[in-house]
Amino acid sequence: MVFRKEDIIVSTIARILIPFIQLYALYVIMHGHYSPGGGFQGGVILGASMVLLLLTRGHDEAKYKIPENMVITLSSIGVLIYAGIGFLCILLLGNFLDYSKLAVLLHVDPAHARSLGILGVEIGVGFAVMAVMYSIFLDISTGGVLPEDEEPEEGTEA
Amino acid sequence: MEVTLLVQAADDSFRLLEDARHQAIELLNSAVRLTSDTRSVEERKLQAILPMGLDAKSKLQNFFATFVMLFVFWMILSEKFDLFHLSLGVICTFIISYLSHDLLFANVRVGDIRVIVQRFIAYIPWLLYQIVTANLHVAYLALSPGMPIDPQIIRFKSKLESDISFVTLANSITLTPGTVTMEIYDGEFVVHALSRKVADDLNTGEMEDKVAHIFMEADHIYIQDVLDVARIFGEMKGAA
Repeated sequence: MVFRKEDIIVSTIARILIPFIQLYALYVIMHGHYSPGGGFQGGVILGASMVLLLLTRGHDEAKYKIPENMVITLSSIGVLIYAGIGFLCILLLGNFLDYSKLAVLLHVDPAHARSLGILGVEIGVGFAVMAVMYSIFLDISTGGVLPEDEEPEEGTEA
Repeated sequence: MEVTLLVQAADDSFRLLEDARHQAIELLNSAVRLTSDTRSVEERKLQAILPMGLDAKSKLQNFFATFVMLFVFWMILSEKFDLFHLSLGVICTFIISYLSHDLLFANVRVGDIRVIVQRFIAYIPWLLYQIVTANLHVAYLALSPGMPIDPQIIRFKSKLESDISFVTLANSITLTPGTVTMEIYDGEFVVHALSRKVADDLNTGEMEDKVAHIFMEADHIYIQDVLDVARIFGEMKGAA
């Protein structure tokens, strides 16, 4: 379990830095097709910012911001976006992840469609990586037992 | 002849009255400024006592301030100003400021931010000067053959109140060579000092006063405010 330890310096600096880290992560995801970075790297940065939030604020506040169910849902949604775009290209008579076929749907020229398709795939990858990284950390930090799981057990024992 | 003297006397007395009125207005203005500083501190204390008292309005203000800061940060990062990337930036910034609007400005009233930023910028040159002088002192300690160091741990109870002022003071102490903040526990600073001189410099509390002045902490007479008032009174004395 990770409990909140009262260290004013670390928690305050983390509080100020977390929004900027998260925005930087989204920047890395969104500019992955121009510059170094992309969905995986940006997702890891986003996951790291949430791990920092959990380390400095403890489980309760982190759970209030990102509930456990939302983490699992987000990881599935990320994979769904990635695979959905891939299979959409197959449905439009192309190969898996052949973005140029998306030009029909988006009403743009094929080159532009490739750029937008890569952006969509990267957003999906970013969501999935962020959620999986965070849930791995959650599992390690709690030893697989979440606080809400413990309470009913105590109730049944009593 | 008598008439002109009379007119002159009336003129003089009128001018004196005008001067007195100006001085009174100046004095009142300074008094209003000082009381408004204290009042805002009192309001902040009330808000600290009642954390539930943060209403929707201040939440919206926090959200807006966070949004503006993060969007500026996005534009510096992105360097692409076409419609597509700017709209991406607006969406991303909106998401992040919705998630984290209570993190960036947790204990600070939005109305105070302008004054705080102004005073913080004024604080930086002073801090740089302190860092340079402390650097020279530590270089002297390291280079002198006798190595006249006197390492010691000093504790002092701080007069500061908010987390952010604690952190500013702690980081200023750590940035200054020769002193390292080891811990802040319950408002008490535990600082390691390399020699008696840097410890004495810290014990004068000048840095603490400056930080208290930046964040407008209460129960404390700020040197800067006293200097401001002294200047006003000096002007009045000179005029009289």
